[in-house]
Amino acid sequence: MTLLTTVMDQSLDEGYAAAARARGEEGRRRLPTTTRGKLVLALGLALAAVVVTVSGVNAHESEPALAKEKDALVKRVTDATAAADRLQRDVEAARTQVEQQQRRALSESGGATGLDTLNGTVGTGAVTGPGVKLVISDASDSASGGGTDPRTSGGFGGGRLRDRDLQLIVNGLWEAGAEAIAINGQRLTALSPIRAAGDAILVDNRPLVPPYTLLAVGDEKRLPGAFQDSMGGHYLRLLQDNVGIKATVSGQHALDLPAAVGFTLRLAVPEPPSPSPSGAPGPGPGAAGSGATGPGSGSPATPSTPSTSSTTGVPKP
Amino acid sequence: MIAVLGLVAGVVIGLFVQPSVPAAVVPYLPIAVVAALDAVFGGVRAMLDGIFDDKVFVVSFLSNVVVAALIVFLGDQLGVGSQLSTGVVVVLGIRIFSNAAAIRRHVFRA
Repeated sequence: MTLLTTVMDQSLDEGYAAAARARGEEGRRRLPTTTRGKLVLALGLALAAVVVTVSGVNAHESEPALAKEKDALVKRVTDATAAADRLQRDVEAARTQVEQQQRRALSESGGATGLDTLNGTVGTGAVTGPGVKLVISDASDSASGGGTDPRTSGGFGGGRLRDRDLQLIVNGLWEAGAEAIAINGQRLTALSPIRAAGDAILVDNRPLVPPYTLLAVGDEKRLPGAFQDSMGGHYLRLLQDNVGIKATVSGQHALDLPAAVGFTLRLAVPEPPSPSPSGAPGPGPGAAGSGATGPGSGSPATPSTPSTSSTTGVPKP
Repeated sequence: MIAVLGLVAGVVIGLFVQPSVPAAVVPYLPIAVVAALDAVFGGVRAMLDGIFDDKVFVVSFLSNVVVAALIVFLGDQLGVGSQLSTGVVVVLGIRIFSNAAAIRRHVFRA
């Protein structure tokens, strides 16, 4: 503290007092009277003014330089963004080209319509058609009802729909003859897992927010009844009666289901030229996508193949 | 009169000659500015106290700049230059404030 007190108390240079004492004229002299004294004072003031002015000029000079630097950085960022956009467009173009090539190769071997149908069935293509809409929401007295942050509550309490329940219901829909299913806009494929992570239900590793809206394309008239009779339908009724989970089923004339995202072609085998050019029904050569190959590990929602040969859902162009 | 001329001459030199500050001196510029302001405030206060001395004014200004620059230079060599320059600015800033307070008491009698 003494250091700070000293600084506070002796703010004036002690030299002034000492010089005044030496002259013996303390408290009387205000400004130098001699020419020499005036000159020295002028010199000191000039020095101080030069220092302050130079510093100010410097600060103003460095301003445009800083702005220029910032502009250069901004330009680099925009350039890089534009380059990334260009690359993205290239990727899109290449993807379209691949699709066209695939289509052409298939039409040459006579399987183009097969690919479209298969894309719709497997889930890699968007489909539209009649079907049912099933809205399921947690019981209102559950710990975290619709829309609340799943992280704040601990685990699936009573009255909350679990991943297992959703798996059973989805399987019931497949069983009832659904040709394509989407949950909250997430298209289901044979490889789409329905899992729980923490307190949220994940479909395709994307968390869902209640209420859960299941769209199923299928026979509009037959599907709701078939679902009620299926195991999934029975289970859902059980949930409604015992736990208070709310569910509404409604037939829809037109449903738009998006294509599944993040799908990679894992296996493509060139087909030996078939003897009959008309094309045998069945998977085309390029259509042996991942959706069709192998069982998905841990995929609970395995679609039962629709028994009807004519599908209700039509692939979107 | 001559003093005012000196002040104007200093500003004009700084503005129009635009001496390019060597890169080696740039770190000491803020210290020099604070020391210059401290010297000016101290001089004004001494004038109002009636004990102004031109030689003390110039010498205290020069020695303050040199000592502050030396402290910062030493700190730079030891890797604590920015901390020491903060210290110099704090001490000189306190002096400027208390000198300004003394000037205020002289001028406004409050």
